[in-house]
Amino acid sequence: MSRQTEIEAMIGRVALGDRAAFGALYDATSAKLFGICLRVLNDRAEAEDALQEIFVKLWHNAGRYQVNGLSPMTWLITIARNHAIDRLRARRKAESRGGGDMDAMADLADAGPGPEALAVAASENQRIDRCMSELEPDRAAAVRGAYLTGESYAELAERHGVPLNTMRTWLRRSLMRLKECLTR
Amino acid sequence: MTGPGDHHEDDAVLAAEHVLGLLGGEELDRAERRLETDPDYRALYAAWAEDFVSLTHDMTPVTPPVRVRNAIDRRLFGARREGLLRRLGLWPALSAAALAAGTYLVVTNLDLLRPGPEAPPFGAEIAADDRSLVVRVAFDPDAPEMLRVLRPSGAAAPGRALELWLIAGDAAPVSLGVLPEDREGRVTVPEDLQPLLSQAVLAISDEPAGGSPTGAPTGAVLGAGPVTRL
Repeated sequence: MSRQTEIEAMIGRVALGDRAAFGALYDATSAKLFGICLRVLNDRAEAEDALQEIFVKLWHNAGRYQVNGLSPMTWLITIARNHAIDRLRARRKAESRGGGDMDAMADLADAGPGPEALAVAASENQRIDRCMSELEPDRAAAVRGAYLTGESYAELAERHGVPLNTMRTWLRRSLMRLKECLTR
Repeated sequence: MTGPGDHHEDDAVLAAEHVLGLLGGEELDRAERRLETDPDYRALYAAWAEDFVSLTHDMTPVTPPVRVRNAIDRRLFGARREGLLRRLGLWPALSAAALAAGTYLVVTNLDLLRPGPEAPPFGAEIAADDRSLVVRVAFDPDAPEMLRVLRPSGAAAPGRALELWLIAGDAAPVSLGVLPEDREGRVTVPEDLQPLLSQAVLAISDEPAGGSPTGAPTGAVLGAGPVTRL
């Protein structure tokens, strides 16, 4: 049985309320998902909280696996990424809401990895990396920023110093070019 | 986010924006519905999800500490539903006393927490009887995932930690985590506890560094206070 098939079987049993399968799924995937939480959130305590929430969600939602046709690891990673991004967005929102007295929160924002750093760290042997490298570096950085830090069009526009509509056009064109490359 | 007047020529781009989380409002609702009803769109979405997930392939797996696993088991399977204090019958008494005594202090002392005109309208003060420990907590009901915490007085004993607990009604205390070492900081509230927050009593106990190893309070209860509108 391949690893993907094993994980798929675990998810299936978790959906039926099998605690042992849930434990096995945790053993098989928690390190990968925790690595992603750490990378997105850049805060160990928050990454631990996030991982806890993610597995609570998995227990409750395992029955929804296969609804959207994702492979098992992609499904798990997508849930983890989306949850971590939600937290990151909440943090950004709380910070921009005027926590001027909250130095600790401001420090956390500064400590986040920039998309450039994330781009440099990416490996080169993935299909998407090859296709991303065909984009202009700043556009590839915007796509990565959207995926890895959950930046909105408005935030991307601000960071790249371009008007909102320009950013939207940029990114949509980049996504189209990415699609062309990925389906070649 | 894009307005309703925006038309996507290309579903592939829409699906990519969907996976990236760039859609909002009605556009997101429509895309979510299509995910359920439109197999072609679902295939596009799945293809993008697979491709973007490879952006995480270089992220090194890190084994999480065992306390995460324990916390998950406790939350899902209630391994230790009855905390020590609850078994001793202390929590209900404490909650009632805090509810009776707490409101006045909260109203008069929470001004310090207000960052500006958009002050979080809910909060609690958790204080020891002799005021040797005073902790104030505030949050915005629209964003209950984050508590702002201010500790004007007191600190954890050397090598110990202050742990914050949420008590909803007669339920056993649920940990909200160890308080930040800094006098100002924040505490993240798990999603399933957020709806309970505005009706809850918050309490602080003295715990080993890193927090209670059992998921229930193990050390002395240093103070408690009800959450109220500020």
